[in-house]
Amino acid sequence: MHVDLWREIRSSSAGVFGMVIVAIIAGLAVSAPITAPSYRDIGPVFSPPSGEHLLGTDDLGQDIAAKLIHGARTSLMIAFGVAILSALISVIVGGSAAMLGGTYDRVCMRAVDAVMSLPSVVVMILVGAYLKPDLWLLIILISLFSWPGGARIVRSQTLSLRERLHVVAARAFGASRGYILVRHILPDLGPVLVAIMIQDARRAVLMEAGLAFLGVSDPMVVSWGRMMKQAMAFTYLDAWKWWLIPAGVLLSVTLVGFSLIAAALERAMDPRLQEDV
Amino acid sequence: MSSLLKRYDFIIKIDLIWLSNYVASFLLILILNFVLPRMMPGDPLHAIYGEEALIAMTPEMEAEIIKRFALDQPWHAQLLTYIIALLRGDLGYSYYYRTGVSDVILCFLPWTLLLTGLAFMISSCIGVILGIESGYRRGSKFDGFMLPIMMFLGGMPDFFIGIILLLLFGVTLGLAPLGGAMSPYAGHSGIDLVMDIAHHLMLPLITLVLVQLAPTYLLTRNAMLTTLRARFIMTAKATGLSEGDIRYKHAGRNSLLPVVTAIGIRVPNMITGALFLEIVFSYPGVGTLLNTALSARDYPLIQGVLLIVTVTVLTTNFLVDMTYTRLDPRVRYAR
Repeated sequence: MHVDLWREIRSSSAGVFGMVIVAIIAGLAVSAPITAPSYRDIGPVFSPPSGEHLLGTDDLGQDIAAKLIHGARTSLMIAFGVAILSALISVIVGGSAAMLGGTYDRVCMRAVDAVMSLPSVVVMILVGAYLKPDLWLLIILISLFSWPGGARIVRSQTLSLRERLHVVAARAFGASRGYILVRHILPDLGPVLVAIMIQDARRAVLMEAGLAFLGVSDPMVVSWGRMMKQAMAFTYLDAWKWWLIPAGVLLSVTLVGFSLIAAALERAMDPRLQEDV
Repeated sequence: MSSLLKRYDFIIKIDLIWLSNYVASFLLILILNFVLPRMMPGDPLHAIYGEEALIAMTPEMEAEIIKRFALDQPWHAQLLTYIIALLRGDLGYSYYYRTGVSDVILCFLPWTLLLTGLAFMISSCIGVILGIESGYRRGSKFDGFMLPIMMFLGGMPDFFIGIILLLLFGVTLGLAPLGGAMSPYAGHSGIDLVMDIAHHLMLPLITLVLVQLAPTYLLTRNAMLTTLRARFIMTAKATGLSEGDIRYKHAGRNSLLPVVTAIGIRVPNMITGALFLEIVFSYPGVGTLLNTALSARDYPLIQGVLLIVTVTVLTTNFLVDMTYTRLDPRVRYAR
């Protein structure tokens, strides 16, 4: 599948909008050490927005705006980590299943089906409740549940790619399976992989926020979901206006950004949706 | 006759392979449930029952629990005890609710099913109709208005939509109750009781419908775009059929296949679909129960919820799969 992804995304307004959103959030996340160095400092609690505290302070007296910026860092690190790790597992399992075939292929696909039919949210909550995962463990945990869909797509793509003429030619010249996989199949998997990674990233951000909202992640990690959980306990105060809402809006905007990119990619890869009637 | 038998044999074989999938997933959960508490550092007794429960525990109770889980014996004896207890339908004892775990879960499950079942039906109907209209009039004002809205709705986390609606209609405007499934101690009966339950159900239901609307809508719209370019639509137009007939009887009906498949895949999610929303609205369903169990660190209850949810999800998954192979033979060969 030869698709110029970059051009396709830029050509759709949804894609551009999504990219701008994710870029802004990424900018926030990267700037955290400069713009919000003292996010753990404790001051007067529940102060309303002022020049000193742009969005006031929370129940611990910490600056809400600074915590929001660090929340962006957590969300994007999870998104990035899960996208990489999960796509890696997808490629390894899906690619090898398609290349090796036979019983190995069947076992792999059974494993995919088995993981996919689990209610992943509840399983993650249970594991989270026991392990109280920090950032890295959370990335591994979410990846363990998000690879199967990708593996199935990678497998079917690889199966069709390896019947292409140039791959058949390479095999006729005596290229090994590994060489064909790395040299001919992986590069052509590119666009599909990007689409899978964006989907995984989106689901990871949502999952992290959800787990934090339930309180089953490391309490030391600053997270939008955890901020919303804490703010929910104080809805009788006015604080939700500059505490709960901004955290939720940032989370929603990030998720929508990823969704818009994913939608643009889907359009790019399904020609039936493109042609204007 | 013999070829018919052979074919039937083939179907049964496929079904068995599928069944083995579900058995594998189920075993995975059982192992997770068994291993996790015993893998924790320290005494498994603490991990199984949590620190809080142990404070209230007498030495006799402790001995009773050790005997019950066979904790003083090697791990294979523990596994055997665990499985035998499960076979008897014994999910353990919730120290928070002070009754059997299965009884507690059965109290909460109907509310979840009421909420998710209604939301599922309403969102599917509205989503399909809006999708057909939007796809048929691609590029029109209606389509240009619906598409971005649905994309944003589909992107937002469900619990935040719930929080906004709760703050707006519950806290600020006071139009809806702040939580629960019915007014406590109100002594309603008959029609009053139904109205009271509906009043409490309104806000979570609207949120869940909004959340579930987007995927159905987007899929129907895409399917419509594909179907509309088929030759038979042109034929239908050429024979002078009315707009409505083309839109619903020809294009709409033929776009339904992928939509129905996708909707079917979501049936098993009904039980977990409202997890976060129930917590936001304190709606007494499985989600709220899980949240209570988490904050009370009532581990037997958490495990019981996981087990029941898994069994339900796997069973419905299996049934949906079976139905599809009967409805659309192509699915069987595609696997």
